[in-house]
Parts: sequence; structure tokens; C-alpha cells
Amino acid sequence: MKIQKLSDLEEIGKIGEKTLRRGKPQLIFGLGTCGIASGGAPLKDFAVEYLRKTKTDAGISIVGCIGLCYVEPLVDVKLPGKPRVTYRDMTVEKLKRVIDEHLIGGRPVKEYALAQLAGELSVNVNCPLESTTPYEGIPTYQELPFFLKQLRIVLRNCGVINPDSLEEYVARGGYKSAFKALHEMKPEEVIEVVKSSGLRGRGGAGFPTGLKWQFARNAKGDKKYIICNADEGDPGAYMNRAVLEGDPHTVIEGMVIGAYAIGASEGYLYVRAEYPLAVKTLEKSIKDAEKYGLLGENILGSNFSFKLNIMEGAGAFVCGEETALMASIEGKRGEPHPRPPFPAEAGLFGKPTNINNVESWNTVPIIIEKGAAWYSSIGTKGTKGTKVFSLVGKINRSGLVEIPFGTTVKDVIYEIGGGAQNNRAFKAVQTGGPSGGCIPPEHLDVGIDYENLKALGAIVGSGGMVVMDEDTCMVDVAKYFLGFTTEESCGQCTLCRVGLRRLLDVLDRISTGEGKESDIDTLNHLAIQVRDGSLCALGGTAPNPVLTTLSYFRNEYEEHIKQKKCIASVCATLFDAPCQNTCPAGTNVPGYIQLIRDGKYQKAYELNLEDNPFPSICGRVCEHPCEGRCQRGQFDEPIAIRELKRFCVDKTLEKKGKPSITKLKPNNKQVAIVGGGPSGLSAAYFLTKLGYSTTIFESSGKLGGMMRWAIPKYRLPHRVLDNDIKNILDIGVKVRLGCIIGKDVTFSELAEKYDVLYLAVGAQLDQKLGLEGENLPGMMPGLKFLHDVNNGVKPHIGNSIVIIGGGNVAVDVARTAKRLGCEKVTMCYRREKEDMPAYTEECDAAWEEGINFHFLVAPEKVIEKDGRAVGVVFKKMKIGNYDKWGRRTPLPTEQTIEVMADTIVTAIGQVVDQKFIDTIGHEFATSRGTIKVDKYNQRTTNLKVYAGGDAATGPASVIDAISQGKNAARSIDKMLSGEDGFIELKKKSKIKYSMKLPDNEKKMIRQKPSELLAKERVCSFDEVVQCMDARCAKKEAERCFRCDIMSKEAKE
Amino acid sequence: MNKKEKTILDEIISSIPNPINSKISLLQKVQARFEYLKEEHMKYIAKSIGTSYTDIYGIATFYSYFNLYPAGRHTILICEGTSCHVKGGQRIRKKLKDMLGIDIKETTPDKRFSLKSIRCLGCCGISPVIMVDKETFGRVKPTALEDILSKFK
Repeated sequence: MKIQKLSDLEEIGKIGEKTLRRGKPQLIFGLGTCGIASGGAPLKDFAVEYLRKTKTDAGISIVGCIGLCYVEPLVDVKLPGKPRVTYRDMTVEKLKRVIDEHLIGGRPVKEYALAQLAGELSVNVNCPLESTTPYEGIPTYQELPFFLKQLRIVLRNCGVINPDSLEEYVARGGYKSAFKALHEMKPEEVIEVVKSSGLRGRGGAGFPTGLKWQFARNAKGDKKYIICNADEGDPGAYMNRAVLEGDPHTVIEGMVIGAYAIGASEGYLYVRAEYPLAVKTLEKSIKDAEKYGLLGENILGSNFSFKLNIMEGAGAFVCGEETALMASIEGKRGEPHPRPPFPAEAGLFGKPTNINNVESWNTVPIIIEKGAAWYSSIGTKGTKGTKVFSLVGKINRSGLVEIPFGTTVKDVIYEIGGGAQNNRAFKAVQTGGPSGGCIPPEHLDVGIDYENLKALGAIVGSGGMVVMDEDTCMVDVAKYFLGFTTEESCGQCTLCRVGLRRLLDVLDRISTGEGKESDIDTLNHLAIQVRDGSLCALGGTAPNPVLTTLSYFRNEYEEHIKQKKCIASVCATLFDAPCQNTCPAGTNVPGYIQLIRDGKYQKAYELNLEDNPFPSICGRVCEHPCEGRCQRGQFDEPIAIRELKRFCVDKTLEKKGKPSITKLKPNNKQVAIVGGGPSGLSAAYFLTKLGYSTTIFESSGKLGGMMRWAIPKYRLPHRVLDNDIKNILDIGVKVRLGCIIGKDVTFSELAEKYDVLYLAVGAQLDQKLGLEGENLPGMMPGLKFLHDVNNGVKPHIGNSIVIIGGGNVAVDVARTAKRLGCEKVTMCYRREKEDMPAYTEECDAAWEEGINFHFLVAPEKVIEKDGRAVGVVFKKMKIGNYDKWGRRTPLPTEQTIEVMADTIVTAIGQVVDQKFIDTIGHEFATSRGTIKVDKYNQRTTNLKVYAGGDAATGPASVIDAISQGKNAARSIDKMLSGEDGFIELKKKSKIKYSMKLPDNEKKMIRQKPSELLAKERVCSFDEVVQCMDARCAKKEAERCFRCDIMSKEAKE
Repeated sequence: MNKKEKTILDEIISSIPNPINSKISLLQKVQARFEYLKEEHMKYIAKSIGTSYTDIYGIATFYSYFNLYPAGRHTILICEGTSCHVKGGQRIRKKLKDMLGIDIKETTPDKRFSLKSIRCLGCCGISPVIMVDKETFGRVKPTALEDILSKFK
């Protein structure tokens, strides 16, 4: 029947309402492309069969995508009069249980449930989702972080209606606006409403839609066209697909209204061929619309006629550009044309044409329904309304998110998205696809709208937001996008066709270790030329990823060029195994793991010593960044690389093995090293291996630095440390203990006598709290506390101790205090448990040992009694919003808490001793009080003086300090000899190991070393973590995928 | 080109109202019927609708959906969209190349599979993604590929 009157429409709506509000239990399946790709179809098939088998009287509804991609496949259950419950990550087993217990039994299965819909989720008011009393123990959609900031206008029916049902669309208010426009409004009035709403084109350019319609209306012509651009080609964007598959009639209705306003009699829906389900859904929807008289002659009983055709694209990204799209509809190659003339004047087949994006057309009916004032009240001053963004990539909660303009990027990433996955550090978010740019953490505070993002060099574009983390290489990202645009260029413009390819060539060279210093300028210069000299937006925006990555991540380009290093372990030519590449010292991890697997423990130890003189220390206290990057971790669990390292050393020492260390021939150059900690010892070690004569000047009575004085013995026994140090001394490093620069020997004497100096004095002073009374008896700096204990001096701490801080030093102090017999040990930290900078394993161990924690407290005042500190007044903090780095900012409240204790320890950070800076001269210092060095060669402002470790970087980890010493040794050698002695050293290495690719792609659990029980271990300083036994070590070593072999094979 | 093929081509051409203005749709229909665009077919079509072979060839080579060479029984599309790329799409690509022994745009000797890469399938929320014929697979792990491909004989 053809709908001619409003009552006809209402009748159709009633049919839709009946199916939407079925009076019997429903199972609801989201079967858009993603739902199917996640395994939704077999679930539905199972349900059909199971309902039949159990003779259950329930209905099965199919809906489109609701945007919750991160928990697909989803199945929903709706009982009459009860909320609709969404179940996540469904399997056939889970579904069976849900059907039995919830659908049939009436009790939701809470542990599988994601959320419930207890009322309407979108702005729609027609046939809204039933308002019901929520079930207990299941959050409502509105309470989910993913939905908290969303405003569903475009997605108003997605996930609610059956996309194939025109009747359900009408029930939800569909085609009422078309009726209103055709019967109650003049075309000019419709245009005015769209203008006043402030709607800007959602395809990417953001041109005011109403104005564009006005141009087309005003153009002279006997025939006019409108087009829907559904060629959603941006990689990372799929919000148009969700609408086309989930709520297609919004687009058709929008086009009917638009055609009427403009005076167009024919239209095209240009859908990309990669969306076969969308094409199928639209074909059906158009047929249904024609059947009901909503398309074709005399629409809705009016004088207006409009024919809508579908055209399928054929795989060309450039056809998303409007003039190329029109050429494609005309059956030609998709080559853009210069504008003017604009499509509104002369477009498809030379006639006036208006092109809009899917989202733009979709929004028109609801603007007509609710009015321009309503729409323009949403968003920012310059950009009205909402936009659907596809939040994808390395994000915890990926999916489609519809938010009002003005929402900050930060809120999208952290509040809605839950931050980067797997506890990896967030690095950047790419917006707008290949035309867009990346936004680093520093700029996340920006409110999303067209102007703000443009100012950052990015664009809103299609709305794609791809999240990248520390394992993404930004040079590779630029290369990736250029690879795309180079291929998709239509080829007309020389600057685009050739320029993009040349940009790609440069990026290729950089990513394969053949970058030149001049390349960065070349990229900038050429990128700007391509941008300015291209005819269409493909060439005009293709350089954006290059320009933004250069702007915000220049350091990565420099590392690739100057150091031939890809820190994210992505550019395959530049590394073998990601673990080795991530280790600051470049330890040959796969090599020594293979040697352990083959029982050659001493060789494994020696292989470690080629890159790191402290394997037994790192094997105990390193924070193992290598394990974070272990490829096995993507399969089951990362290899226990640190434990294996410790294993091979301990086993060698058990057998009294003496590792052999390669050295080059001695030369006559002399190097002085100030500081006998990890960095200084490491530099001395490598320089001696390279043939130099080295002398360490250490101010205290023993070597080791923080390794000896700060790390407690239950983590690092001193016999282990002394063994490593002995290896270094045995190869000929000379030492002067108890020697203070400026007192026992002057700086200038050293500079005169030695060819080169390496300064590695560390950051050994505790940072001050800045509170009055902090120097009173009863207060103690954390490092001093640890130093005394490691030196055999037992500090008097009484029965209760409070430690201010949350880092490793603070935890070390707490666990040490427990072992000294202190009964009440309390740590006070200003943020929350998950924000503590200390290693998680240390925090957990402290918890087990009975240490108390106060979180969200910040020290305000020292409580004094009789000239002694007896406690601290803390301000209670509360959780504020996310900062740009994904941590919640603590905000002070009015409340305070007093914590009394016999001793109060401060451990809030370490600083370089400024007395040393005074001795060497302030021209050597940065504004932060560290020693100023060149990032790559570690040279100071004086050509003969190098520096490294905490003294140059500020407090960092032990492996950082060790690698700084190694890197400095390399730089010094290059400077003094003109050659790279490390290459010689590598050649001299006689350690061989199997290069056979293992066959181990079956799940294997990660072996764990045993530990002393908490109750036992707090009574002594015995080492807590034990060495693995040989059987466990072999099993663990067998799990290694040998990424180095695969990498070498790939390079050949 | 035999008579039967000529008849089919004539049918397809006449099924389109204005073939000279709908060359892409026409070629899509021809490819759907013959699996790829043969040179002699393209020449025949050009002559029949009143344009040059160069024109038809230019369209066929511009749009990536057109195959000018016979494809395998099943086409594997590896998505190389941004989200798939950052989530390990390269590993999937490498594994498939190794498993099948062919490169992108090639077909296995037994004509079972053709391998193609595609810029974005629009399933970015469940990346990395591949498509085999018209079936899409999400959250693909390299270790799951054997199982997926075994469904396609």
C-alpha cells in the first residue's frame, strides 16, 4: 500500500511497534558485519535450534550494531516488562546457560552481563525503549563508562530496530519528518531549518550543509541530483557502515527531504564495494520504501517525486572525493576535477548536484523533528551537534562512540575508551585517517571540533580515531599512510603522483637504517609542496601524517637516522628480536635463552657479559622492559627473561665457573671515571674491554653505588654484587676508593691527567618535602635509611614508622623496616595503588608482608613534640579527572588525617648532589640540576668530558644506568680512536648457539621461581626470590619463539 | 571467445539501461559472471557500447576490484587498515604468504586461493581482520589461520 496520509503512516508504525514491543521473551542478536565477523551467526543458529528443541516460546530479533565492538559477540535477552540485558563475549556454552536461566528461568546471569537497557538510550522519543525497574547488580548502559558521555542522535536506532523493517523505523518516528517537510513546509523553509541548525558536513570538510543546499537550490537547471557519499574509505572508520547496515532508512528519509528542498528528482547512494551487507540492506530498504510510496512518484501523497539509485563502488579511495565520485557514477575513471565549477552548479552529468555524507543525511530527519534550536544547543560555538567516532587500535574499549562536539580527546581516550590496552603507555591518537594527523598526550585536553583539531595539524575528517601506544613506531605510521595514499592517488597531479612517492622513498630509507641527516628537512619541504600543489584533498591532505609525526615525534625520526634504532621494535631491518631491541643494553636475549635450553649455562652467562657487566643484578632487580615486548606475550605469557638471566649466572657460580671476557689490545689512552655505581662501573668495564686504561674515583669506601647502598639485601645479596664487581676489577679496572673530587683531587687535575672523563655520580640525595620541621629528629630521608642498613648500621626507628612516597625506594624502606622488627609500618602515597611507580611485584610483596597503606594522602605538616617529629598531618585527596597521561589527578579535600609514628621517612624522589655541580662548574648543568649531555653521544659542553646515568638523566633504572655507561664508552672510543671498537669486540666473540627455529606454538604456562613465604621472610634479610631449578629453566627456555631467527630469515 | 560467451555478454549489456554511462556497473556484472575481465571480452564490450578498448581498459585498471587475471576459487582479502596495521596485521600477512607460498595479487598453483590486500574492511573494532570470499573474520591470530582456511576447499 502507498502511504498518502499521516494516518497511513501511523498504521505502519503500529505494525512496527508490535514487533518492537513483542509481548513474549526475546533473544536479540546484533548481526552487522562486525557482529558476524565476531562469530554472531553461529550463536543465532544455535539459538534457533535450541529454542525449537526446548519448545521455548520466544522470539528472535536481529538488530544492527550498537557500537560495543570490544565485547562482541553480543546477545541480548528481553523479558516483557523487564529491562533488556546485554551479554558480552558470548559463546554457545554461555548462550545455552543464558537461555536456560534468564530467557526461560527469568533470572539474569550477572557474571556474563555487560549492562542493561532500562529505558531509552538515545534522543528518540517515539516508541522509546520500555522504561523498567533495573535488575540489581547489573549496571545500566548509562552507567557504563563507554556510554557516560555519549549522546546518541545519529545512532538513535542502531541496535534497537531490525534494519530490514521499515515498519519498525516508522514506529520510531521514521518518515514523519519527510511527511512534515513535504506537506507542511516549503523547500526554502526546510533549507532555513537546516541552516539554523548549524549542521556541518560530516564527510570531513565540515562545510555548512544548509548553505550547500541553498547553492544547489539556487542553481539553474531542469534536472538536479543529490548524492549520498557512502564511500567510507578511511582506514579505521566504519561509522557509516553501522548506519547503513543498522538504520538505513534514516539516510533514505534524509535524502527525500533534501531532494525536496533542493528540487532534485533523482539521487544516488554510492556505497563502497567493500560493504556487501550494506549494499544488500540498502537495496531491500529502497525496494520497501518504493513499495510504500516513500520513494518514486508522488511521495507520501504529495506532488514530489524522487528516484533513488544505488551504485556500488569498485575499490578506489579517491572516489570519496566528490568530483571523483561523480565521475565514477558516470562510469569513468575516478579522477577529480578542478572546482569551480562546484557540484552545486554543474555536477553529475553536468547538472546541479548536492553531495552529502551518510551521517549528514541521517541527521536531517531528526533536525526537522526536533527543530534547529535543539540541534544548535549541542556542541560548541563553531561546530554544532554530535559526531560518531570509531575508537579503535590499541585501546581497551574499542567501538563506535557518538559524542557532542566539545568533548575532549582525553575524555574519549581515557573515560570512554579506558586507556591503552595491556598497560602499555599511550603514545598518540590518529584522527581523520590518511588525511589527518596524530595528537600526542600534550594536546589531549583539546575539545573536539573542526577548528581545534585543525590548529593541531589534525582533522576531524571521517571520525576515525586510531589509538597508538609505545609499541607503535611513528615513522612507520607515516610510511604506512603514505603507502596508502601513493597507491590511491589518481595520478593526475605531478606533485601528488610523484611527490608522495618520493616522500615514501625517503621514509623507506629512514625505516631501513639508511636515513640521512638532511632527510627531515627534505620531508618537511616536500610535504608542504605536495600539500599546496595538489588539485584535490587526497594530495592536499596526504602529507598531514608526515607533518604531524615530524612535529610531535621528531625524536623518533632522529633515532632512526642517527642511531639506526626503532625503539618501538617495528622497523624490522633495524633489529632482530624485540626483547633485545627493547633492552637498553641490547642484551642478546634469544641467544642466551637458547644456550640455557641447551644446558650451556656458562656460555649463556658469557653472552650476557658481552652487553652487560651486571647480569646477576639485572637478573634480580631489573624492571624487564624486554618482557613487556616479548612476542610470546601475545600468544600466552611472556618469557621469564629476567629469571633465566639470573639462572645462568647462579648456576655458573655454583659450579665455580669463571666466565671469560673478551678484550681488545691495550692502547695508551687513559680514562677517568667519577662514580663507582652501575653507570661508572659499566663504562669502566666496556672501556677496558676496548683496550683503554681506566680508573674509577669513588667517594665512598666501596664500589656499587645505588646497587649496594639502596637496594636491600633481600632483593640483592651483596655476595652477588661483589661477584659482578670482581669480574670488572679482574679485567684490569683500577680504583681509588674514598676519593672525593674537589677535596682529594681537583676536577682540573683529572681533566689534565686523563684523555677523557666520564662523570657518573648518580642522583644520591633524597628530594626534600619542603615542609617545616622536616629536619627534626624523628624524620629521616629514605636513601640515608637504606644506606645505613646496607652499611651494617641499624637505625633507631622505634615501633612504628611512616614512609611518605610510592616508588621503589619507599617500598624498599618499608620492607626493610619490617625486617628490622618494626611492628607498624605504614606507607602513605598521594595517589592510588595502581598509580604507584614502584614495581607491582614489590608492592604485592609488601602487602603480603603486612605493610599498611594509606592512599590519596598528601603530607601537609610535620607534627612536632618536644623538638622531635612525632607524626604527620596529611591532606586527604580525592580522585579528579584524568590528566593527559591517563592518570587521575589527585585533588585536595577539606579533610585531614593525622598519622603518628616513632620515625617518619621521606622517599619522594632523588636528586643530583648540587655540591658536585658546584665543584665542576654550573656551565655543565641543566636547569633541573642534572649534567647537560648530548642525547646521542653523551658528551657534555666540554669535549673531553662525558656524563651518564642518573646524574645526567635524573633518577632512572639500573639497566638505564648500565646502558648509559656502555653507550658513553662507545662514544668515547669513537672519539678517541676514530673507529667503532664494539664491532671488533663482536667479531672476537666465539659464542655460537643453535639457529634452528623451534616448534613450540602450543600453550605453555610460564614457569615461576619459588619465593620465601611472607611470614618467614620478614624475620631476615635472606633473599626472597629463589633461583629456578634446571628443569623449570629448561621448560621456560623452550617457550622462546626465537624471533631473531624469523627476523633474520625475513631479511634474507 | 565463443558464441555462448558472446550471448551472455549481450544479455548483460542489454540489462543495463544506459550502458555507455554505466560502464563500471557493466564491468562489475561481467566480472561477477566470468570471475575476471578477459581482454577479448573487454574489447567486445567496448565495441558494443560504442567506446574504445583504451577507455574500458583504463577503467578496469583504475579500480582495484577488477581482476584482469583469473582468481582462485577463494579470494582472501587481508585488511591493511590503520587499526589492523597497529594491531599486528603485518604478522597475519606474513603468515598467509608463508602458508600459501604466494605473494599478494597471486594465486596458488592449485587455484584454491588468491591473496589480495585491501585498505579497510570497516571492522576496525575487531582488528586484525581478514575476509575470505564474503565471510569476514575478526580478532585474527596467526595461529588461527590454518583453521580458518580449512573451511574453504
